[in-house]
Amino acid sequence: MGYKLSNTGFNEYIQQLKERYRLFAPVLESKKGKFAQTDVIAYGEIEKFDDMILESKSYYSPKEIFFPIRETLFYFMKDTIETPKINEKPVIIFIRPCDLNGIRRLDSIFLKNGEEVDFYYLRRRELVKFIMIECLEGFDTCFCVSMNSNIALDYDAVIRVEENVVSLKVVDDKLEAPVLSNTDKVEFEPEFIKENKVKVTIPNVDLVSKETFNNDIWKEYTSRCIACGRCNTSCITCSCYTMQDVKLSDDKSIGERRRVWAGCHVDGFSDMAGGHNFRDKNGERMRYKTMHKVNDFYKRFDEHMCVGCGRCDDVCPEYISFSKCINKLNEIVEEGKNYD
Amino acid sequence: MTNPYLPIPYKILEVRQETDIDYTYKVAYSGQLIGGQFMEISIPGVGEAPISICGFDDKSLEMTIRKVGRLTDQIFSLKKDDTLYMRGPYGNGFDLEKFRGKDVAFIAGGTGLAPVRKTIDYFIRNKDEVKNLEVLIGFKSPSDQLFVDDIKRWSVDNNITVTVDQGDENWTKETGLITKHITKLDLSDVKNKVAVVVGPPIMMKFTTLELIKKGFQEENIWVSFERKMSCGIGKCGHCKIDETYVCLEGPVFNYVKAKTLID
Amino acid sequence: MSVNRKVVTKNAYRISKKRNKTALRIRVPGGHLEAEYLTLIQSVANEYGDGSVHITTRQGFEVPGIDFDKIGEINKKIRPLIESLGLDIEVTDYGYPAAGTRNISACIGAEVCPYGNDNTTRIAKRIEKTVYPNNFHFKIAITGCPNDCIKAHMQDFGIICTTEPQYDVSRCISCEACVTNCTKKVTGALSMNEFNVERDTDKCIGCGECILKCPTGAWTRSETNFYRLVIMGRTGKRNPRIAMPFMKWATEDVIIQVIKNTYDFVDRHIDKTLAKEHIGYIVDRVGYQVFKDEVLESIELNKEIEIAEHIQWNGYYYKQDNQFRKQ
Repeated sequence: MGYKLSNTGFNEYIQQLKERYRLFAPVLESKKGKFAQTDVIAYGEIEKFDDMILESKSYYSPKEIFFPIRETLFYFMKDTIETPKINEKPVIIFIRPCDLNGIRRLDSIFLKNGEEVDFYYLRRRELVKFIMIECLEGFDTCFCVSMNSNIALDYDAVIRVEENVVSLKVVDDKLEAPVLSNTDKVEFEPEFIKENKVKVTIPNVDLVSKETFNNDIWKEYTSRCIACGRCNTSCITCSCYTMQDVKLSDDKSIGERRRVWAGCHVDGFSDMAGGHNFRDKNGERMRYKTMHKVNDFYKRFDEHMCVGCGRCDDVCPEYISFSKCINKLNEIVEEGKNYD
Repeated sequence: MTNPYLPIPYKILEVRQETDIDYTYKVAYSGQLIGGQFMEISIPGVGEAPISICGFDDKSLEMTIRKVGRLTDQIFSLKKDDTLYMRGPYGNGFDLEKFRGKDVAFIAGGTGLAPVRKTIDYFIRNKDEVKNLEVLIGFKSPSDQLFVDDIKRWSVDNNITVTVDQGDENWTKETGLITKHITKLDLSDVKNKVAVVVGPPIMMKFTTLELIKKGFQEENIWVSFERKMSCGIGKCGHCKIDETYVCLEGPVFNYVKAKTLID
Repeated sequence: MSVNRKVVTKNAYRISKKRNKTALRIRVPGGHLEAEYLTLIQSVANEYGDGSVHITTRQGFEVPGIDFDKIGEINKKIRPLIESLGLDIEVTDYGYPAAGTRNISACIGAEVCPYGNDNTTRIAKRIEKTVYPNNFHFKIAITGCPNDCIKAHMQDFGIICTTEPQYDVSRCISCEACVTNCTKKVTGALSMNEFNVERDTDKCIGCGECILKCPTGAWTRSETNFYRLVIMGRTGKRNPRIAMPFMKWATEDVIIQVIKNTYDFVDRHIDKTLAKEHIGYIVDRVGYQVFKDEVLESIELNKEIEIAEHIQWNGYYYKQDNQFRKQ
């Protein structure tokens, strides 16, 4: 059902949803930017419509709402092992189409890769509903259209925010609320961005060869990339993690095992006990990540991992552009084709 | 909803010293296992790591653990009757069907012997299931030898070659890198001979190249990989190479696939 | 020609080497100026000077080759420059009201530099309003971070902008980027303990490098900015020395009040028999403890502040330097 609401009306809708849900959206975290006197836009819990920031892209993706940076898997005490309880109040995430498509990628890894379902991911993920934010303009570094992730249809509700008017379409009945019954009903279907400023051409997976992996283009990134891991931590689809075991009591009988985000650019990601490191050079890490995002993942799940949100471009302190890298990759793959 | 991350306590039945830094742990366990699979073993509060299963029967499994870090240091303090936490088994392991009726050579370097030990032992005990069986094992030095009793037992009536990179005054077996001793294998029908190569990355690389040079067919070579892993179930991402997850599709790979995997 | 040297000097004109020629010294607090004033400085140099402008070590401008009798005319013309200082005093047609307290210099600071912990220009302007006009010979500089590009350590008052890093353990991925960086580049205040970062508050100098290096925002800046105040550094012909830390984790208001009180301290203790006595030598003469007690009097200190119990200034005396031998 479609509705047209004033800003006040939409805020009232939010208040009514809040009784049943925790609501997350991009918010402004004042003075929490890394540079002095700068703010950061990040996903946070909102109290009211005004808290939502729609004019900028969030620096971090919404994945941390249900895939926490650090998550305790279990506590142990002597011989007992206990899985911690979580806040079971359902969650609504206001999300752009690219990110919504990104979450399907996370679902693929945690729920469909291998026979096991990720218990910790699933129990948080099941609590989440998505209200999609119509996104027609995008931002300077976005390339969702090239990645076919500009269109997302698996939303539970969708909004279009214009000056003083919010259009709302509710797909999941659970997101209906009393305020909507006295609201103008309209036909509303979201539209999707048709063109980004940045365009990439994904190399044909059938043409990617061993030579692509060994190509010299990756060497450039050995000198440019500083392996800080920001591209990994800001990415909506990066899902890697590492285990950490810690003891919490003095007698070491109480402790916890947790998982913590890991990134393929960060030192230690491929290190084995005993010291062997499979990707020592930062260019190799760039190659590993790039191929995963626009080649390897596709072979398992029939869609590319990268959704073109452009956050990795936004956050790279060395101004490495991932979209540029994809285009360079495509060039070498195309060149390789000509040589054959 | 089952939680695949929860480790289960198992009783240690026996601890056997192999070298100064390698111990074999025999743990009470009953369940389906395949040689070459691995368990995620852990001590809560210390850590968790993937360890190859190097032997098993109906009531127990064995793992040989090298002291290389925080977790394995701690495991070394465990004794008989202590508890070891495990979850698994994970990975494909060595499918015996691939070797039945074949002329097979197992080539193992150092701790790489652990994942193939059970499979070698099986065919030693069931020699009629293979056409021919040979084993080539390399260690760094005499003091690095693993499974000495097994090797002694296997050596009766079988072509078992043991070499060390560097011998000492008491060393009577072969010396030199494993690649030097490939010629000791019966290469009369090399086109149909099957080889299993397991060891450190460098050893596997040069050994497989040498085998191909000697006329082995790529599809007749099998390898087993070792990578960093945090989950063993295809989620944590550490062991991914190209589109392949070593924990799911491996750790045992045919060389035709393995040669395409670029870390 | 008759020139009252004291009057023109106080008016920010210099007695120059060239007979009958003076040079105008233009204050640029924080070294940052609206570009439009460059045109005015250019016209003074072209019309009254020799057509050149010197950029001073303290980030002002000096316009040489001016005739003394043009001072009145120039003062009228440069009124907008003095107005731009935003002082609380009434600006007149008679030029700069004092020159003793030197231009407040500053590095480019957080407006541009990623390392900057605060807007150094803003602080320079605030201090300018607090201390100017004044005839006591003070040198003050503000630097955006402990890299100290402005050489705050060579000033009577060197203000080093800092932040108190805030650690949110729930965002930490234990990548150790902050620890490695702090160990290699700063004081080694950070260490890992059971996958968490621990900050040694005694070693931490508040440079904010950990915040810059963190890929998840586990490290963020403190709500309030803090400052390290280093004092009584100097060059000169007797005893050059580096300024030493007087306060750390002080707030801006405390710093301003300390500087203000120091003017009163100088007024009470300066040796009036001398042509001028530099603040550092006054502190040497009366002692750090007296200085400390007097400048801290009636200041409401913030709870985070730490103040030096004793200060030992190093440096060297020219006259005692005996390490040289003729070769």
